[in-house]
Amino acid sequence: MSARNGVLSDTRELRVVGFLCNWCSYGGADTAGVARFEQPTDLRIIRVPCSGRIDPLFIMRALVSGADGVLVSGCHPRDCHYAEGNYYARRRLELLKQFLPITGIDPQRFEYTWVSASEGARWQEVVTKFTNRIHELGPAPRMQGGSGYDELCLKQIEEGVKQGPACPCHKERAL
Amino acid sequence: MRIGVFVCHCGSNIAATVDCPSVAQAAKLFPDVVFASDTMYACSEPGQDAIIQAIKEHRLDGVVVASCSPRMHEPTFRRALERAGLNRYMLEMANIREHVSWIGKNKELNTVKATELVRIAAAKLRLNTPLYANQFDVTKRVLVIGGGVAGIQAALDCADAGIQVIMVERDTSIGGKMAKLDKTFPTVDCSSCILGPKMVDVAQHPNITLYAASEVEEISGYVGNFDVKVRRRATYVNWDACTGCGLCMEKCPSKKSYDAFNEGVAPTAAIGISFPQAIPKKASINAEFCMKLQKGKCGVCAKICPTKCIDFEQQDTIVSEKVGAIVAATGYDLFDWTVYNQYGGGRYPDVVTSLQYERMMNASGPTAGHIKRPSDGKEPKRVVFIQCVGSRDKAVDRPYCSGFCCMYTAKQAVLTKDHIPDSDSYVFYMDIRSPGKGYDEFTRRAQEQYGVQYVRGRVSMIYPKGDVLVVRGADTLAGTQVEVEADLVVLAVGIESSKGAPHLAEKLRISYDHYGFFMEAHPKLKPVETNTAGVYLAGCCQGPKDIPTSVGQGSAAAAKVLTLFAKDKLESDPQISRVNQNRCVGCLKCTMTCPFGAVKDVKDRAGNTKAEVVETVCQGCGICTVTCPHGAIQLQHFTDNQILAEVNALCQPEMEF
Amino acid sequence: MSTLEQLKEQIRKALPDLDVVIGWEQGYDAMHATPLFIRTEEDIDRLIWSPLCVHSLGTYLTGLTKTPNVRKVGLVVKGCDSRAIVQLTQERMIPRENIVLFGVGCTGCLSHARLEYKVEQGGHYVEDMHSITFNGDKVEVAVNGDVESFDFDTVCLEKCLTCRFPNAIATEHFAGEQVPVAPKCEKAPSLEAFEKLSLEERFAFWQDQMRRCVRCYACRNTCPMCVCRDHCISTSRNPHWVSQETSSAENFMFQMIHTMHLAGRCIECGECQRACPVDLPIMLFRRTMVHAMKDTFGYISGADPEATPPLLTFKVEEDNIKERGW
Repeated sequence: MSARNGVLSDTRELRVVGFLCNWCSYGGADTAGVARFEQPTDLRIIRVPCSGRIDPLFIMRALVSGADGVLVSGCHPRDCHYAEGNYYARRRLELLKQFLPITGIDPQRFEYTWVSASEGARWQEVVTKFTNRIHELGPAPRMQGGSGYDELCLKQIEEGVKQGPACPCHKERAL
Repeated sequence: MRIGVFVCHCGSNIAATVDCPSVAQAAKLFPDVVFASDTMYACSEPGQDAIIQAIKEHRLDGVVVASCSPRMHEPTFRRALERAGLNRYMLEMANIREHVSWIGKNKELNTVKATELVRIAAAKLRLNTPLYANQFDVTKRVLVIGGGVAGIQAALDCADAGIQVIMVERDTSIGGKMAKLDKTFPTVDCSSCILGPKMVDVAQHPNITLYAASEVEEISGYVGNFDVKVRRRATYVNWDACTGCGLCMEKCPSKKSYDAFNEGVAPTAAIGISFPQAIPKKASINAEFCMKLQKGKCGVCAKICPTKCIDFEQQDTIVSEKVGAIVAATGYDLFDWTVYNQYGGGRYPDVVTSLQYERMMNASGPTAGHIKRPSDGKEPKRVVFIQCVGSRDKAVDRPYCSGFCCMYTAKQAVLTKDHIPDSDSYVFYMDIRSPGKGYDEFTRRAQEQYGVQYVRGRVSMIYPKGDVLVVRGADTLAGTQVEVEADLVVLAVGIESSKGAPHLAEKLRISYDHYGFFMEAHPKLKPVETNTAGVYLAGCCQGPKDIPTSVGQGSAAAAKVLTLFAKDKLESDPQISRVNQNRCVGCLKCTMTCPFGAVKDVKDRAGNTKAEVVETVCQGCGICTVTCPHGAIQLQHFTDNQILAEVNALCQPEMEF
Repeated sequence: MSTLEQLKEQIRKALPDLDVVIGWEQGYDAMHATPLFIRTEEDIDRLIWSPLCVHSLGTYLTGLTKTPNVRKVGLVVKGCDSRAIVQLTQERMIPRENIVLFGVGCTGCLSHARLEYKVEQGGHYVEDMHSITFNGDKVEVAVNGDVESFDFDTVCLEKCLTCRFPNAIATEHFAGEQVPVAPKCEKAPSLEAFEKLSLEERFAFWQDQMRRCVRCYACRNTCPMCVCRDHCISTSRNPHWVSQETSSAENFMFQMIHTMHLAGRCIECGECQRACPVDLPIMLFRRTMVHAMKDTFGYISGADPEATPPLLTFKVEEDNIKERGW
């Protein structure tokens, strides 16, 4: 039984991680479930008390460790159960969104949104839209290789030497 | 750690689309899992007993239940753990019903997903620690926001039980919408005769403090200990001195003031008491129409007032109150029907709302109970009622049913016949919704006994012809067009959330839906609770309701308040932030982001600044944990390590099962 | 009187009230300066001020002000250095009242990495450089008997090309003339060049770069804004953000932590990149975050001691964050 190898090649799932606040979006996902709104199955939800609890580094950690997409959802601005959590979250997440491109990680693989506990239909729409987007992007590239002159590095050097001067590991100085 | 996993079938709710036994089988391979089984109903008594037995038999010190949403049954399973001698926080739930079995039909994929959710839960559980609640004092006073019938009921029930009640009412009098009604269905008894005594009780009850013409300005604190600031609006009348004699109202030269209580059916004076039964029976000035306040000239009321209580300099004042619980009973407002151009969009004076009609029929109303056409004051002989105006209409973003319009329309048609025996009434309706005790009998009586003509269909337009209005619509039962010449058209206007309801919800930190109605904690099992502990709902602020249901909910909310206050101490939720003072460098960034002021600075023995969490104030949001760069302040039960464990359980190189 | 003489004079006058004043002195060769801890009058004579004085001395402050027997500290600061002090003051990380700043105006600092690269390109060995002269826009290096001349702009630190704060701000003393604010470019050329790459190329680049990281933490230890010191979450088990595995991914994760923790705090001193023994271009991360902060919140860190960093506050309606149609 495997979601990752050939058996399910047609419906091959991707690794989509959701961080949801307990009060609004997790409730919204429950509401969608209660209403039997069918959704793509890729998403795995991690429940946190508030979107203000979501450290952008959790998202970074997930993306670095092999998530193909990360979806964050909290209460609508002004509706935070803790009054202000989503305002802080909004700033943190927006910065992350703007920062991601420099790392080469596609910012499309990360999205944040606001869904209330009553918006089951909206949750269905958000999950479907996001999961479809991740499927269009395909599996995320994984950052490979150990540190220093490991096997992969030596192979790259070998190839680099064939192509011309300079070791690929040291091909650029700081500017 | 020794973890036990219980995978619930929930009958066929989960088992139909998730292979529960194989989820349990797979879970046995997860780190620290020593026992796993599947069970038909984990929440049932035998289900819980099986968990307790397994805890004892396998010496489990942590439990994963894979079943429904933790928002549903987390408390249930926590209690089960406690019965088995474990700490209640050694439980994790995997939501394999709402988030898996109910949203996908592919059994294979669902089983993989369910297994992974169990994996996340088990990974987090490995880092759970027992948490213990502390106790804190309760302020046994309750704030009731809104003085309609629901709020009045809640206030009286609490007050009778010996609880101090603070009632805040936005209008100058309590009574709400019910006070405006003439008669009530299905008994057709006088509204103010049944509400009036309750209003008086509120005024006279030693345990009730009433702030009319007031609004809630600010709410801080938490269950058991809320701090409330109430803005008492300037009424320009010193209420301590006002006797309610009404002399000012008679002498006021500005007689063109909008009469909100009478729904603008007739104008009123700029100073006065909104209606004869008003509680408190005190005068107030409508500043918009007062010549003295607008132009600085007049002051007749001040001259003739026998107690000299007019004060044109009066300012808003803020009073602070401490309460332990809050009941929101802010009621509703009428939908603004003038968006319907087909009904004249407000241009025809003889098209009125049901509530205006109610005032016209009321003996103490502006027409002294005589039904008169607003245009020429003649008695109408043909009255057309149109139902579902601003209800069940997606075009105006009001897809919901307002619930009580069918009934009050029937009542008004019956009363029309009583007032004007030689009149004819027509009702255009979509469906008749009369599911209360004695309700359907009543609508039938309107048709059969009173001869009210019910036409099933929508009205497509109203246009004036001479001094009558032509109402053109469809009769969908006969399959024909109908045209009725009416002297008066009454619109059964639907309801919407009270003006400013979302704003109040934000202050209360409760959720509201798209239409501004407050969200209950559970649509069936917690209809008066909210997701904010200590805040309860009563009446139409939660959704459309008729009088009996509103009263019932008022009592229900009171019961919840009394249950809360039955204990002398409340238990604090131990899922709060804690500071590891060894790691804290004293930058106090956490104090800047905490929305509750729950982090304070202290000095350690060496005199270094450190952060410290005030246990009873912390609400457990975790904003501080993200703010702290060195991970010194950690939200218990949702620590960095616990969430990282969940992420790591989910994202790892080529995960295989 | 030259800037250096003025500076020495100011320090001489203030020294009796101070436990230590930190500046720079000539290092182990002609190319390098090294931090100087002035405790006595004689120490003052060794003080130098030149484009070799690259170190941001504010890094010492958080540790030093907690050291027993050190009550008042003096510090010589360039423009960028002074921004670190402002930022630390804002965050209440240093007792500002016990710190005396001696500000100078700066026309740019030497990038040893770029100079060495140039020298090597000219067919020489770095080890053979034996003297350096700063002559207006030119830098003259005596190497192996030859004198090589370079434009200063080609061998200065990259931050100096975009510098908007050449003069130390919020200082107690200021030596020499105010240097005119004249950034050579809006955006760092390396960032501009990097942004031309596709996402795939960028990702491959970092994968390549990150495998060279040896996790020596020099970037962290030299950063004046890294105040966690012994409690850095990159080297802790609780919380345990980064594993001990030295793979590209984990090294990258460490850099992400550093970048996120500098969001709204980084004053672009570039010390992290300068200190990196394997020359990882990590300033690309920092600068991107600095630009995001400026674009989204209009915030420049280390410019105003009274300001609140954007991540510690919020607006109910954000000016530049669009609520996505999600």
